[in-house]
Amino acid sequence: MKKVVTGVVGNDIHVVANRLIDISLQARGFEVFNLGVNTSLEEFIDAVVETDADILLISSLNGEAEGWCRDLQFLRSEYSLRDVVFVIGGNLAVGEAKQSDIIPKYQSYGFDLVFHQVDLNTGLDTLEAYMKERA
Amino acid sequence: MSKLLIDVGSTYFKVCQQSGISQYFRDFKKDIYDDLITKCGDIFAQYKKEDVFICSSANGGLSTLIIGLTNSFSLKFAKNIAFNSGINIIDTILYSKIEETKAPLELVDVVIVVGGIDGIGNVFDEKLFKYLQNVQYSNIVYVGTKQDANYLKEHLPALKILGNIITGKLHVNEVELKEYLTNLYQADIVGKEDIKHLYELTSNQIYSTPYIVNRSLPFIDANFEVVNPFIVVDIGGATTDIHYSRDLVRDNILTESEYDRLVFKKLGVYKSRETLVFAAKNNEFVYELLAYLNVTENILEEESEKALRILMQLSIFLVLYKVSRLSSMYVTLHLELLKTVVLTGGITKVLSYEEVESIIVFFYKKVMNLHAIPTIVMDYNYAIWTLGMSNTETRS
Ligand code: B12
Repeated sequence: MKKVVTGVVGNDIHVVANRLIDISLQARGFEVFNLGVNTSLEEFIDAVVETDADILLISSLNGEAEGWCRDLQFLRSEYSLRDVVFVIGGNLAVGEAKQSDIIPKYQSYGFDLVFHQVDLNTGLDTLEAYMKERA
Repeated sequence: MSKLLIDVGSTYFKVCQQSGISQYFRDFKKDIYDDLITKCGDIFAQYKKEDVFICSSANGGLSTLIIGLTNSFSLKFAKNIAFNSGINIIDTILYSKIEETKAPLELVDVVIVVGGIDGIGNVFDEKLFKYLQNVQYSNIVYVGTKQDANYLKEHLPALKILGNIITGKLHVNEVELKEYLTNLYQADIVGKEDIKHLYELTSNQIYSTPYIVNRSLPFIDANFEVVNPFIVVDIGGATTDIHYSRDLVRDNILTESEYDRLVFKKLGVYKSRETLVFAAKNNEFVYELLAYLNVTENILEEESEKALRILMQLSIFLVLYKVSRLSSMYVTLHLELLKTVVLTGGITKVLSYEEVESIIVFFYKKVMNLHAIPTIVMDYNYAIWTLGMSNTETRS
């Protein structure tokens, strides 16, 4: 069973998507560690370490993820987390923004999969396909 | 038949009978038993052994070193449990940095090792054993993933293995470790030869004083003009204890206990006076505070009644500072929510209400930027201690 750590990053309290993500992941057969809203990047990384998770799936709805995720590369190198898949989704910018700007930006922070305003099921299908391909 | 309650402190004895409370300074040339008999022999003669209840805080305090996998879970949970059990944390070590970390020089009473939820393995390796070779410790306890327990035990025969403090949902499970540490603390105090000797005077269990104070907390608001949330600050000769309502802590840790406790081992006004002065001199607010009290720093070196009062005022300030958000070493209490400060211990015999109030006003103004302060309650007659003692007695 693949393990996923999830939650909403930073000062973000939009909780509805977080609940849906928890339920959907479980329905798809993942073991879920849900840190809930208001979670710092360090807590996410630490949870991955403590649970030896395969996937970190962060969501951000209020548009402030960028400020919170810049340190990802640094934290990732603190522990050897090379095999962990990093995913982010939700509303990844404030106001209007182009996918073609957002995706490379978050990839440069160290995310493997980036879903800006992508429907949850579409995103999770992509994630499962990605995991299969890697295996 | 009435009871005789005795509290053995680092600097004096308190003796409580129906007629009231009296206190006697300790004579350090004598052992505790002889000293008590010399001073209170005729009092003991009036009571049967089963009516005598003793608690002690003499020379109390255990130290711990915590080694954990991450800051947000292993170390955070273990730190919290250690604090709540009244143990002093010498240092915390992040396992990924263990090779670069120096071993503490002092003897550690208990090393706590923690990391990983149950089900994951190979969290710890030789790096741990190599590091521990340079640490002098009396006890070592493991509260991490079950999978690594046998491997660690093979290399560390003295290792005590308890249930994982990190649950499968990444929540804290404090029960077993807290009980273990509390017992260790209790055993340390009452296991001292000096204290064992006191069983010639009582047929009841001897408890540690902090345990007794903690027992009384749920009854405090019924017996005092206290509004929740409150803290109880017990400033004694050798240590300073602070007991606080869990409502003042905002963390992701869910626990059963309503009240927690933190001990500052080296913040007493007599026996650890030097460390108190040292801590004071290194505090960014102290010169302003001394000026506010109309004295200069020379007072800290003096041996006068006035100097003692100033030291006591300083210790109130330092304790509050250490649990405020300006200090990250300890638990951070939301002091802006605090409704009542209860002061107990020797300090209430020395300081007036106004002297305490002036310090708390200074603290709230300078550190908290608030003009309103919590209500101050002075436990002049050690009623908190008596309350805890009487309640233990009815329980047992
Ligand atoms: C309800 C709501 C609130 C409630 C939240 C209550 C709560 N505790 O949950 C309240 C009123 C508190 C609130 C506050 C704010 N909100 Co609001 N809020 C909304 C609202 C109306 C609905 C959110 C919701 O629950 N939707 C239902 C869930 C199921 O959908 P969802 O959150 O969009 O999630 C889906 C997808 O995004 C996706 N998804 C999410 N995460 C991930 C992750 C992955 C990997 C994948 C694949 C997919 C995925 O899957 C989900 C299901 O399809 C939206 C507008 C909207 N209609 O979406 C604004 C909205 C999210 N809020 C917004 C803002 C700006 C705020 C505030 C900053 C407002 C303010 N100025 O105070 C504050 C921020 C508070 C904070 N600290 O976070 C903006 C964000 C703008 C942006 N990013 O560009 C939005 C989009 C409104 C807008 N159009 O301006 N908000």
